[in-house]
Amino acid sequence: MDSASTTLEPVFAFLATSLSTLESGFNKLPGSAVIQRYVKSSHQDDPGRTILELILLIFAIRTLLQSRTRADRTGKHFIQFNDKEIDELVDEWVPEPLGRPLDAKEQAELSSVPITLGPNGPKPKLASTGKTATNLATFNFTGLSGNEHIKERAVETLRKYGLGSCGPPGFYGTLDVHMNLERDIADFLGTESAILYSQGFSTISSVIPAFCKRGDIIVADRGVNFAIQKGIQISRSTVRWYDHNDLKSLEDVLESVEKERRKRKGPLTRRFIVTEGIFEKDGAMADLPKLIELKVKYKFRLILDESFSFGTVGRTGRGLTELYNVPAEKVDMLVGSVAIGLCSSGGFCAGSQTVVDHQRINGPSFVFSASMPALLSVSASEGINILRSTPSILTALQENIRAARYILDRVDCITIPSHAVSPIIHIHIRPPPTSSLHPSSAAVMTPSKPSNPTSVLPRDAGTWDWDIEAEERMLQDVVDEALGQGVMITKARRLRGQEMIEARPSIRLALSSALTKKETEKAVNIVKAALVKVLAKRR
Amino acid sequence: MPASSPLPSPMALSIASPTPSMFKKRSSQSLAPMASAASYLSAVSKADARARNGNARPPTSTPALSLSSSITSSSEDTVLHDDDLNNEDGLTYPVRAPTSEEVFTTVHTEFGHCANDEYRFTSQHTPGAPVPAHVEQDPPYYILLSTYISYLILICLGHLRDFIGKRLSPSSYKHLIPRGGYAPLNSDFDSFYTRRLKTRMDDCFSQPVTGVAGRTILLLDRISSDYNRTHILTGNRTRALNISSYNYLGFAQARGGCADAVEESIKRYGISTCGSRLEGGSSDLHNISEALVAKFVGMEDALISSMGFATNSTYIPALVGKGCLVISDELNHASIRFGVRLSGAHVRMFKHNDMNNLESLLREVISQGQPKTHRPWKKILIIVEGLYSMEGTLLNLPGILELKKKYKFYLFVDEAHSIGALGPHGRGVADYFGVPPRSIDILMGTFTKSFGAAGGYIAGDKSLIDRLRIRGHSGPYAESMTPPVLTQIIASMASIMGVSAQSLMPSTSSRDESEYTHPGPAPSNALPSWLMLPPPLASGAEGRLRLRRLAFNSRYLHRGLQKLGFITYGHPASPIVPLLLFNPGKMCMFHRMMKDRRTPIVVVVVAYPATPLVTSRVRFCVSAAHTKDDVDTVLTACDEIGDILDLKHGSKDRWSLEKVLGNAVELAHM
Repeated sequence: MDSASTTLEPVFAFLATSLSTLESGFNKLPGSAVIQRYVKSSHQDDPGRTILELILLIFAIRTLLQSRTRADRTGKHFIQFNDKEIDELVDEWVPEPLGRPLDAKEQAELSSVPITLGPNGPKPKLASTGKTATNLATFNFTGLSGNEHIKERAVETLRKYGLGSCGPPGFYGTLDVHMNLERDIADFLGTESAILYSQGFSTISSVIPAFCKRGDIIVADRGVNFAIQKGIQISRSTVRWYDHNDLKSLEDVLESVEKERRKRKGPLTRRFIVTEGIFEKDGAMADLPKLIELKVKYKFRLILDESFSFGTVGRTGRGLTELYNVPAEKVDMLVGSVAIGLCSSGGFCAGSQTVVDHQRINGPSFVFSASMPALLSVSASEGINILRSTPSILTALQENIRAARYILDRVDCITIPSHAVSPIIHIHIRPPPTSSLHPSSAAVMTPSKPSNPTSVLPRDAGTWDWDIEAEERMLQDVVDEALGQGVMITKARRLRGQEMIEARPSIRLALSSALTKKETEKAVNIVKAALVKVLAKRR
Repeated sequence: MPASSPLPSPMALSIASPTPSMFKKRSSQSLAPMASAASYLSAVSKADARARNGNARPPTSTPALSLSSSITSSSEDTVLHDDDLNNEDGLTYPVRAPTSEEVFTTVHTEFGHCANDEYRFTSQHTPGAPVPAHVEQDPPYYILLSTYISYLILICLGHLRDFIGKRLSPSSYKHLIPRGGYAPLNSDFDSFYTRRLKTRMDDCFSQPVTGVAGRTILLLDRISSDYNRTHILTGNRTRALNISSYNYLGFAQARGGCADAVEESIKRYGISTCGSRLEGGSSDLHNISEALVAKFVGMEDALISSMGFATNSTYIPALVGKGCLVISDELNHASIRFGVRLSGAHVRMFKHNDMNNLESLLREVISQGQPKTHRPWKKILIIVEGLYSMEGTLLNLPGILELKKKYKFYLFVDEAHSIGALGPHGRGVADYFGVPPRSIDILMGTFTKSFGAAGGYIAGDKSLIDRLRIRGHSGPYAESMTPPVLTQIIASMASIMGVSAQSLMPSTSSRDESEYTHPGPAPSNALPSWLMLPPPLASGAEGRLRLRRLAFNSRYLHRGLQKLGFITYGHPASPIVPLLLFNPGKMCMFHRMMKDRRTPIVVVVVAYPATPLVTSRVRFCVSAAHTKDDVDTVLTACDEIGDILDLKHGSKDRWSLEKVLGNAVELAHM
């Protein structure tokens, strides 16, 4: 006992001296007396509070010291290893290759991509054959590609502005020609304002997350294109799906969303309907007046992707709003593609001033990307001028579409899901008649129960029995056959495995007013012959 | 212009030949009495220019300028704007008139005339030297305190104004309140920062401009009568020194070999190829430029995407997916975050450019495996940037490659800002450090910055790039890059590389990968046959000159600001030079004071959320187009404004302004 106290004595002495130095040091600090008095009196009044405050202090220090990246270490799934074990684990770990080399099928897919020599237009020269072909593959709907006047204006702009803008719009990348094009688009459509993005594809996948945040509700068509799917994915909003281009189904979903909200009595969240004007996947067209009616009734905002309808339908190419004679202001966010509709590059979103200004700060690919090269912007403005002043272009385009449909609608071995005025015509293979019993029986079965709005798969997904691989192969044969006859067409290329719903394989024709009706008919007849020839072989 | 005619190097000294200068049609002025030597010299140069203009076109050689002017029908663009005739600000013509020995073919407002061969430097890492870590210099405490207090006042006042405003004038808040059954697009809480802080300094952002974003830029003046809610263009224009655009190599030019090539391509190819790469929008130009990009960066193959942001956001998901881990630098660009989020891969972050932190994170994630299941990761991809756009930090590439050997991760380097801007040959960080580019798995970059074009690329192994071609989102769905942009890329890239007669060798993988070999010049048969680059571009002389001018300017500005006593971030080789301002109020003051000078200078100020709350900064982007005089102008302006705004809190070893300006070469070589 005694020995223990003697050995501990120096320790006690050390503690006493360090305590006294601490105390004197503390007293030297300015304002320490106040703290001392405060602690003393509070301890006198309520000893429990001192303990509470101490705990609070420790907790605060702990939180401050805890780094963000070490959060997992405290998790219950964390396993403690020593350095040697970690080294062993590191040595053992074998990562997968970054990218698997292409297999033969993928290689064929890649090598079947057509490459043009020189300008792309109604009759491009192909690298594979060295000959010109009639182009029914690329988007030159109103024949603006290769327009001499646009080229002249582009060269003039080049000589004034150079090529690149060398900066994002926020930092000296906003050129007067960009503001002109934004105004031209807004004027053309009849909206208050418009905002320009530098790539068409990235436009909608940036517009959606600019408005839709976590907790917001998106009601979307099951057939929306890939860019919309990605925009919805990144927004992290709650998604409800309605059957492809089925406004009855849309109304049911809207009704159920409204019911759900009333039941939960939560705060009002932003709600959006997201759909396309003319669908990229099959060329079907949305019934805009009905859509507007529903959105007003259920108080949703409408995000409409007009990538394929802007510059292609309506008297002067203003798109669906012109075709249906609906004021464009009724569509809250009208998204279009300058690249597809005006043969330049980029995309836009038109809407009210508030909607546009909001995107100037919140649209990721607007804020963080360099603005469009000046000459592309001027070319697009010229394109709008041409569409405005020459409605005959649109008439010619529609005539070509009618001519093409007249021929294709009479081919037995295919089905066409596209709308009659759609400038893109998708061609599906009609299932061989031997299995004709099957689809009809399926058709009887389906209407019984509606699709589940929380799942992207429609109710009849189980009855889809097409063999994607075989159909893709046959369609590629058709493409090759047509190319041999001097008509360039393309399969609709898809990212199989990455799309939410696997689209049915199709050939996608893109018509153009740059071809005469005769040329169009001749080309479509060649496509028809190729279809008949290839599809006849399968039986 | 006959392509074979010997053309003087456009910016360097050369033997004088009676060529017309770039000063085109000018109103005749009588020689007024000279006030100073400088004005005398400039008057002499003007008179000289007038005299040369009077001559008929000399038969020997003609600068690129007059070629193009003979093609364009409009005459307006060959004449400098009227308001430019007044050279009071020293922006339109060099302050010091060129001697009769010097011949320049660039327009001084786009690409400055600088004939002094001293003002050159080579951007290269000293072998064996350590890579400086990212150091955050702290300002004195009172600066930090006042910064926090400023934000506090702003926030309190903002909330107070919201509170009172909503009651007194509900109409001006109606877009923030639920109305008619619609939730507001933007809640007042989410938009608080924008409304109450950003709007106050909106005159510093989104300034509309016109013309070339070269050495100088033409601002479209605007005023606001309602506290920045709306801006009205006054119709006036101001020419300002541009130290803000990402124009590192000065290829933003409306004149010269690249622009001529673009004009030719518009005539040959038109504006657009009208479709996605896989659906008929591919042309021979795409293949040519992809091969050239691969050669430029020293990889086996490359692909091109029509937008820089989309290059990351649409190709990262094709690289990684569920079960994979992405380790990302905490300061990575938004496009990388966008892409990673779309990919569905797990993400961890490490401290900015901190290799120790990265290593400990690697040890943790590899040993722990996937969360909960503890299965090994399928693959780990580390995404870093070569040069960080807000900090100017240079990636510690040797450090990260050391880790790569041990931890077997894949490395993705985003060279958006470093490609073209760094390295003795302009090939980015790998070139700067003398590291073989193929030791990096994926190199990504953009053409917006150094090449004066638009869009981006990804380069890597052939099999990987082929996979990305068919698996990336852009391939089947996004529009392909347009021919004029492709041509600008080909022309500018070829002029950095230089063109040689040798044929394009199939890229051999037998080469020893551990040793750095410079990828070499562009083979002439790899370029479009119609592309005629003027000799200084084709020889690569001009490209080398641009690289060396940029390297000098970067180092000079960086060191100069440090010596003047400012706190700057970043590597001295970086053309991005951030200068720390801290207080939010100083941002707009700095911006306005720079713009209102006799020689207006436009700068980019950045604040939260692009940077941490306290470290608001101004970011200078140096260009090869700047002359030493331009950097002097910036340094002088910073020195004066720095004194007024109390910004000099950096190193104690300070030099006077005169000493800095006088010892530029010494500073750059420090």
